Amino acid sequence: MAKIPRNFKLMEELEKGEKGIGDGTCSYGLSDGDDIMMSNWNGTILGPGHTVHENRIYSLKIHCGPSYPDMPPSVSFLSRVNLPCVNQTTGEVDPQKLTCLRNWNRNYGLETVLTDLRREMASPNNRKLPQPSEGTMFN
Amino acid sequence: MALPKRIIKETERLMADPAPGISATAHEDNLRYFDVIIAGPTQSPFEGGVFKLELFLPEEYPMSPPKVRFLTKIYHPNIDKLGRICLDILKDKWSPALQIRTVLLSVQALLSSPNPDDPLANDVAQHWKENENAAIQTAQEWTRKYATA
Repeated sequence: MAKIPRNFKLMEELEKGEKGIGDGTCSYGLSDGDDIMMSNWNGTILGPGHTVHENRIYSLKIHCGPSYPDMPPSVSFLSRVNLPCVNQTTGEVDPQKLTCLRNWNRNYGLETVLTDLRREMASPNNRKLPQPSEGTMFN
Repeated sequence: MALPKRIIKETERLMADPAPGISATAHEDNLRYFDVIIAGPTQSPFEGGVFKLELFLPEEYPMSPPKVRFLTKIYHPNIDKLGRICLDILKDKWSPALQIRTVLLSVQALLSSPNPDDPLANDVAQHWKENENAAIQTAQEWTRKYATA
């Protein structure tokens, strides 16, 4: 198989994100539309229904470094959220605690990360975790 | 991971007999991925500039076109802020009879003849239509600012 280089993979992801992915519960876009290296992204997760996250909208930032997609992106929540994989001081997602980051492969993408995080929110262990007030942000 | 013979042939020819003002070098660790340099054509607003691009031959090549993008910022109605190029042969007018060389020659030709009626960068195209001289001047300024070797 041809190995797609970083920039062309990110361009594909950008174009997919612009069209809208799946049912719209996760979305992402470039944080700076002028950034030719496409390093910094914004992500949004709509809290899954029938959980404490229902109707909440979570904002995230995602950084794709020069070694992406051989290496996973770094991911942080901007909106406060209580999840075992999220550092409660900084909002950073611990790559060891999120399956898709721990077992990263270069066919994954930003969509994989966001849908995996949303799955975490809905997991039996996490769906009822007490949450910070809606709309508060990590500093 | 064997590289199709056609790609090997094309690469050899690009090295042995490069088109004037164009160079394409395959990455050692990915022979489908090329660093490209196109010199701004004479008599164009991009004259004197050295433009970096990247080119990738997807798995389906040559049944699908190469993917090409500018890495150097350029003020051109058919090239957007992320370096994406609006060129028919990179999309619906692609034919497997075309090659990397023909694609890059077409990109070079696009620099000589901007087409504001088929824009990708709408603001640039509008500028081009309303005041071509001013748009050309901006393109020259960007060339001096961003496209120096």
